[in-house]
Amino acid sequence: MLVFEQVSKSYPGGFVALDRVSFELGKGELAFLTGHSGAGKSTMLKLISLIERPSAGRVVINGIDLADVGRRQVPYVRRDIGMIFQDHRLLMNHSVFDNVALPLVIEGYSGRDMTRRVHAALDQVGLLDKARCLPATLSGGEAQRVGIARAVVNKPPLLLADEPTGNLDPELSRDVMRVFEAFNQSGVSVLIASHDLALIARMRYRIMSLKNGRMIHDGLIQGQESV
Amino acid sequence: MSLLFSGRQSGAADSAPGVLQQLLMWLLSHLRQAVFSLGELWRTPVWTLVTVVVLGISMTLPATLHVLVKNLQEVSEHYDQSFEVSLFLQSGINQTDIATLVTLLQSDPEIEKVRLIDRNAAMAEFRQASGFGEAIALLEENPLPDVLLVTPKNNSPLAAEALQGRLQKEKFVELAKLDISWLERLAALTALAQQLVYGIALLLLCGALLVIGNTIRLMIMDKKAEIEVMKLVGATDSFIQRPFLYTGLWLGLFGGFIAFATVELLLYWLSSGIARVTELYQSSFSLHVLSLKEIGWLMLAGMLLGWSGSYLAVRSHIRAIEP
Repeated sequence: MLVFEQVSKSYPGGFVALDRVSFELGKGELAFLTGHSGAGKSTMLKLISLIERPSAGRVVINGIDLADVGRRQVPYVRRDIGMIFQDHRLLMNHSVFDNVALPLVIEGYSGRDMTRRVHAALDQVGLLDKARCLPATLSGGEAQRVGIARAVVNKPPLLLADEPTGNLDPELSRDVMRVFEAFNQSGVSVLIASHDLALIARMRYRIMSLKNGRMIHDGLIQGQESV
Repeated sequence: MSLLFSGRQSGAADSAPGVLQQLLMWLLSHLRQAVFSLGELWRTPVWTLVTVVVLGISMTLPATLHVLVKNLQEVSEHYDQSFEVSLFLQSGINQTDIATLVTLLQSDPEIEKVRLIDRNAAMAEFRQASGFGEAIALLEENPLPDVLLVTPKNNSPLAAEALQGRLQKEKFVELAKLDISWLERLAALTALAQQLVYGIALLLLCGALLVIGNTIRLMIMDKKAEIEVMKLVGATDSFIQRPFLYTGLWLGLFGGFIAFATVELLLYWLSSGIARVTELYQSSFSLHVLSLKEIGWLMLAGMLLGWSGSYLAVRSHIRAIEP
């Protein structure tokens, strides 16, 4: 599904963000990406969503090398990838409904079809009653869940999350993680970058650890099995 | 259709049954964006007004000049149709010879009409109209010649000139005179004015283009965060730029309307002055205002201007914003 082959990314000035990273994420798999800030987690997600391009190596999604994707095709690739951000990146002067509907509007949906899909996505994150609210009136956890609803509203096969619980307290973080688990159980591949080891160690999923741009661990970590 | 995952249904177009339905959806989405852009303008009324007024003024001057040139051309064309060759006859010619000449000229295929101004009648009129009555009474004999006014059939200045050359050689004719040099000068001046109008219009429209471009650029900068998010969830550049292009279109349309209103007001204001001038010239001249077609062109020009100004801004700035 998602394959990294010896991927490196260095920035002008010589900073190496990723150093020959390889891994494969299967279809319907959920995995965590962890490491200190600056270890290269965000860079990896940016390479997948084509915000950045690798300096060396290949990023392949579903058999298609992203190097073959031209500038004009980038938007179409992003429609297949649901993205969730630490700062949730909602449009603050639009209602929750409009925010979640944005990917659908971009793809040309309108009317009842669109409303049905938006309501379904909001229902999945438990925020159906907040559809008319402005994001500013939501709590941090709610705003993050609106961001998740927006990412999944057009049912992408791959979900990326960059520090989705970064600004949340432990209880809300667990709620958000449960939402991700639910999507994963419906067959979506999920890759979550998080430095909250205490939280993710308690869940029985694959963990990839980055340090200074290198993959230092891939798989279940010690102690995870016994929980 | 999905790029990465063949077979995955994506986009409303995939689920629409027919071509007609897809076209309808496309039209509907454009209409919605147009209305949305209008609403956005309404939210910043002062800014919009300033831009629209600047646009309107830049279009008013060329439009007004165009109307003036149009009227000038009307005037010169009006005179084109009344070329006359004046034949001053030799003094001492007798009435029979004049009558023969008139008959001869009347049968000429190139001549429309011949009118005789008898020297005695001319004298009487001159005495009455000039105010030199007493001075003229002192003259021993009438110094005025008999004059034939010849109207050519062909109205072009060239044909009139050829006729004048021919009539000059006619027997009994002292002098054949065709006064078209002032008409030629007027035509040349009109052409110059027209050229000037085009030059000024071009400069002003360039200015207007930049004003719109700058307005749209500020709007884009204002929505930078929003555009980034849209790009992140898969919006194409053309989708993002569409509302801005519609905004330019609206600004242009309103600008065109302001230009139209200003021109009409200006002409209304000038009309009494023009009426006084034409009255003095005893002419039946009436001022031509903008025709319906010209108003249409003005609006269209405004919209085109707004769209292109917006396009210039959108092309460079939306591309530059990347998440």
